[in-house]
Amino acid sequence: MDILTILLIILFTPLVASLVIILIGKERRKWAPAIALLGSIGILISTTGLFLESQEFSYQYSWEWLSFGENTFYLGFVFDNIGATMLAMVSIVSLCITVFSMGYMSDDPARGRYFAGLSFFMFSMLGIILSSNLIMIFLFWELVGFSSYLLIGHYFDKNEARQASQKAFIVNRIGDFGFLIGIILTYWQFGTTNLEAIAGAVGVDASLISHLIGGLLICGFIGKSAQFPLHVWLPDAMAGPTPVSALIHAATMVAAGIYLLIRIDCLLTLEVLTFIAYLGTFVAVYAGFCAFAQKDIKRILAYSTLSQLGYMAAILGLGYSGIALFHLITHAFFKALLFLGAGAVIHACHHEQSIDKMGGLFKKMPITATSFIIGTLALCGVYGLSGFYSKDAILIAALDSNFQLFLLLILGAFLTAGYMGRLIWTVFLGKANSENADHAHEVSPIMSGPLIVLTLFAVLVGLNHYWPFGLGGIVSLDLDHLHHLEHYKSMHKTVLIWGSAAWIVGLLGSLLFYGRGSKADRLQDKAPKLYAFLESRLWMDELYAFYVNKIQQRLADILSFLDEVLLRGFIIRGGAGLVGVLGVGLRILQVGRLNAYYLWFFVGLILLWLYAAS
Amino acid sequence: MTIGINEFIIASSLLFLIGFMGVLLRRNTLIIYMSLELMLNAVNLALVAFSRFNQAMDGAIFVFFIMTVAAAEVAVGLAIIVMLFRKKQTVSVDELNQLKG
Repeated sequence: MDILTILLIILFTPLVASLVIILIGKERRKWAPAIALLGSIGILISTTGLFLESQEFSYQYSWEWLSFGENTFYLGFVFDNIGATMLAMVSIVSLCITVFSMGYMSDDPARGRYFAGLSFFMFSMLGIILSSNLIMIFLFWELVGFSSYLLIGHYFDKNEARQASQKAFIVNRIGDFGFLIGIILTYWQFGTTNLEAIAGAVGVDASLISHLIGGLLICGFIGKSAQFPLHVWLPDAMAGPTPVSALIHAATMVAAGIYLLIRIDCLLTLEVLTFIAYLGTFVAVYAGFCAFAQKDIKRILAYSTLSQLGYMAAILGLGYSGIALFHLITHAFFKALLFLGAGAVIHACHHEQSIDKMGGLFKKMPITATSFIIGTLALCGVYGLSGFYSKDAILIAALDSNFQLFLLLILGAFLTAGYMGRLIWTVFLGKANSENADHAHEVSPIMSGPLIVLTLFAVLVGLNHYWPFGLGGIVSLDLDHLHHLEHYKSMHKTVLIWGSAAWIVGLLGSLLFYGRGSKADRLQDKAPKLYAFLESRLWMDELYAFYVNKIQQRLADILSFLDEVLLRGFIIRGGAGLVGVLGVGLRILQVGRLNAYYLWFFVGLILLWLYAAS
Repeated sequence: MTIGINEFIIASSLLFLIGFMGVLLRRNTLIIYMSLELMLNAVNLALVAFSRFNQAMDGAIFVFFIMTVAAAEVAVGLAIIVMLFRKKQTVSVDELNQLKG
């Protein structure tokens, strides 16, 4: 088979799976998991086939989509090293999560809708990965947002989930608006939205790019990757089923923002990149602090995701898009693992999500606990695990380019270890703090299987030199560049000491501070004001609520007033009133007597005569 | 004494005024109709007088046309009045006011 056919198969397999699930009707509940599983396996097999077929990872194909006047828009596939790396990650992670979902959602009556949504999400995500131009990326970008909306709102009978799904959709819309304008400006500037053509044009004449285009394009990234100030939707999105949080809100969709930045790297000016670097670093630290004041296990992980996305953005802003991709891939595996682990814990504790009510789960759920702890260690960057390699590279690059950012990122790493330590000490050690946790037992093999697979990846995926099929070319390129820097040895040593100190201090500090399986949050007891400040998360939600209720609503009221008074009251009602008054006046003449009409006729005749005579 | 153009104009004006006031004041449809005819004939009289005065036949010819049209009008109008009477049992314009707004 040629590459185009395989690409089409990869893209449309999940869509077909999703449609079949929807169309089979009543039997949906029974067959949906199997169909979705077949779809995921199909993607994995055809992806492997594609890697065997295409040795060089350089394939472009596009066909005309719309043509009006002199403007022609194309749809097209690009299959290069970056896309291939993402494709491998997405197909493996989504297969694991589909299998996990079969166990996690086994008692959910709306399984059909869930698996259809999951398959549809995969279709959209693969579309982003394979798109060769900005317009097609935007199409799938919106589809991803839509499927995220569907899946966050899976438990739509809960008010919280309904509101979270709308919040996610609307907040993303704000970012996407800027993104869309950026795409239009790009087309205006370059006459094409094909990324390779744009890169070529920028290569010839670097003055073509501007702050405005770059600034608008990254709005899409800020919305989708939940960066400050549009980060508010991601913690709330945890109202969706846990496997969805793992797939969409940790491993793939939020990473799509980073993937977009890697793709449009050539369009970003130095100032925009610096802005991204500072923004990412700020989010990495900010989200780290926020995570300390959360009690919901999933929300802690959500803030952790925010913080890690901040790391990716920071390193990308410093110019190492390959290392950003590297951290994206390692993060996808260990964060999917952590979320699935959290899902297993929640499932075992009968949908209890507060960490205060867990505790002592290590003995009851050894497989889940072990894999969760390995995921945590990978996240903290413990030597030898996947997170170490990518975080190490990020920190070295930061140390090389900007010492302030380096210090902040070390602080972020310390915070990561701190809140993750708090999470595992509270959840897995000590004694059970509630009846639900006391009755917890190890999950079934269908759920622990994916955990084990993902644990393997979380341990091994950092060894990027051993990635099969020559994946991750851009990663090796940037890492090699890093290795050949002057003072690399001394910097590596510094980072090793600082980075290890960060996680050791973080984990041990949290153990000493929070204790094992604690019932109540010690920070809340000892420093309630600090805890309340962290819990407020800089009052961003309140700020938006204030803006919408007080400022935007006032503006809407004024506009509504103008509409009511000027348009409706004055012009429409006024016009009708004028005609009405005239009608009342004229109706007096209609007395209903022939003689009177005769007189009016005569009077009219005289008036006409006078008019004609004058 | 000779009868000149002035006398004819006065007579014709009087006739027209009588017809006009008849239409304006009377209630009976038939009377109104007769008043209308009176006005037409007042005009005819004036036309014939002017025709004679100017020694030209134009006015006299126009009178024939008016008489013809008036005859046709009477035929149609009387038929309408008869039908109205059959339907409403009245010919008073005071009671024929269904189209009043």
